[in-house]
Amino acid sequence: MKRLQLTREEEEIFDGKQGEALSMAIRLLYSLGELGGADKLISIKSAHISGVSYKNVGEGGIQFLKKMFHKVSVPTSLNPLGFDIENGGPVTIDENFHKKQMEIVELYQKMGVMDSFTCTPYYYYNEPSFGDHISWAESSAIIYVNSLIGARTNRESGPSALASAIIGKTPNHGLHKDEGRKATVVVNVSEPLDYTKFAALGLYLGPKLNKSIPLVKGQEKAKGIELKAFSAALSATSSIPMFHVDRVTRESGLLADSPETIDVGKEEIEETIEKNSTKEEPELIAIGCPHLSSEELDYIAHLLNGKKKVGPDLFLFTSREVKANSSEAVRIIENFGGKVFSDTCMVVSPLSNKYNSTGTNSGKATFYLPLKGYGNQKVAFMGIMDLLKWVIA
Amino acid sequence: MGDSLIKGRGLSPGKASSEVVVCNQLISPLGEISREGFVTTGPCENTSITGKILAFKGGRGSTVGSYTFLELKSKNIAPTGLINESAEQMVVTGAIISEIPMVDSVPLDIFSKGDKISIDGSSGEVSIFGVQEKKVATVYLVHGGKLLLLKRSEDATSFPGLYSGVSGYVENRETPKLTGERELLEECGIREASLRLIGGEIYVRSNDILYEITPMLMETKTREVKLNFENSGYTWIPLEKIKDYKTPPKFVETFESLVSQAHL
Repeated sequence: MKRLQLTREEEEIFDGKQGEALSMAIRLLYSLGELGGADKLISIKSAHISGVSYKNVGEGGIQFLKKMFHKVSVPTSLNPLGFDIENGGPVTIDENFHKKQMEIVELYQKMGVMDSFTCTPYYYYNEPSFGDHISWAESSAIIYVNSLIGARTNRESGPSALASAIIGKTPNHGLHKDEGRKATVVVNVSEPLDYTKFAALGLYLGPKLNKSIPLVKGQEKAKGIELKAFSAALSATSSIPMFHVDRVTRESGLLADSPETIDVGKEEIEETIEKNSTKEEPELIAIGCPHLSSEELDYIAHLLNGKKKVGPDLFLFTSREVKANSSEAVRIIENFGGKVFSDTCMVVSPLSNKYNSTGTNSGKATFYLPLKGYGNQKVAFMGIMDLLKWVIA
Repeated sequence: MGDSLIKGRGLSPGKASSEVVVCNQLISPLGEISREGFVTTGPCENTSITGKILAFKGGRGSTVGSYTFLELKSKNIAPTGLINESAEQMVVTGAIISEIPMVDSVPLDIFSKGDKISIDGSSGEVSIFGVQEKKVATVYLVHGGKLLLLKRSEDATSFPGLYSGVSGYVENRETPKLTGERELLEECGIREASLRLIGGEIYVRSNDILYEITPMLMETKTREVKLNFENSGYTWIPLEKIKDYKTPPKFVETFESLVSQAHL
């Protein structure tokens, strides 16, 4: 097998001549490159790092960040954490969690990572272009930027994206090459899909496809936000890095020879929603996994405008910048009695400190929230109109 | 009795030796492995992985999952090793940064509950203690669009009474191809057959024996078969009828894979 070739400069870093952190970073990239059959490291335009919430990285993660501590060398955005830094919430947290969480945030800040705290950095902070080689973590963002934008990243983990951000390079294999971006399975979907049904399609297909890149047919009218929902649900339940939608995504012509075919209809979608949803009224309605766009905030504000709130709490999640740019929508939602949080989300905050049941339109949250010892929630998975029925008088 | 040795792909260096926990499922280490070291979903729900070698299909979900292994390691409740059928890089990253040995390209069905095993994350070698490995060559013999099936004798030590290909143990210093040719002569009296394709090794576990089977597709010009004592009957069947017969584990899938590779 042909091995990954390092340049002389990279070899020096590998050998530790520029310090422990850089050496650790390039050694990790080298191992992963070997595993993927990369020939060399290539320069990246940006990185996005997951592994911020103390709930997810824990004490082991803090020690790792200290060992790999080094300035990043490319524009690097950061995932959400366990609470809203400026406004607090969505739930009360104990002092230790707060302290540990801020320790993690400060480590990243000192490395020169942006204060983006969002899983949708592509809306503002870190917007890749078609064909850019990048090194991103956050499963929902990876699959979104590969599929909808046509940027090129493998499914990096939090640690490997950090290593790439520090070195400024990533191993050249997989999704960085045309061959690795080809669909190997065609999915014919006859049912017209909305946001939640796209999320359900993702939950249904993820475990079935495992790693295979699908080409979805029959959804020519799919919108960006619907495909964001599909991205998040599909990648939560699989290790799929990319998908194509016929006549919608830019690289949908990339199809392997003799792909498999799967047909999905109304029944599979409805069963998936049914199976994942309790009928009881939840204590909380949570929307914004992945984080909401301005367009989505405007739409929700429009639905709530002038109405009276009853029933469960209503929490929406987005990034700081989107929230700042949608101040009118935020005002309407907060007048109604809902809350808009930034920096955090329903999955990475310790929701179960206060709530036992959550209603959401997110397929991704529907996968994580019920898990014992993690989300500990009973979940009601349904469309936004049905969710809002709980809270509008 | 010797231990069996399976060659996987080494992904994270180091050696481990302990009981294997086999979870025939994809796992998102974030959420599907608890901070206390238990699998929280699927066939392995509520199973502890602390101090065990965890074998599962592969990783899925959150790219933060790597940190789960680091967290378990820092609390001293990590698995001692990891095995995947087909690994992706989030779990591999977790293994590397947590210094947990890891191997992939190992089928899960070679293990039985309670097996003690060892893995070498550099060489990729996995061995199962007290399980003997036997190398077997199996010939799928075709003639004029038909496949030869032999009915194994009711006294056969393995898979008695089932329909199978022409197979036998690979003897010392023999190549699987040579074994195949020898067995064709011994079991069927067939001297001439041309090799179309040799497939990758297949593992079949049966109690304390692990068969490492090298499958091969051969073609012959004769329909004449002279059986010896090992088989009680034979039949030439149309290729697509193979599913109608009772055959040993993985026999049909292996044939289908050979046929598609050989474009038969």
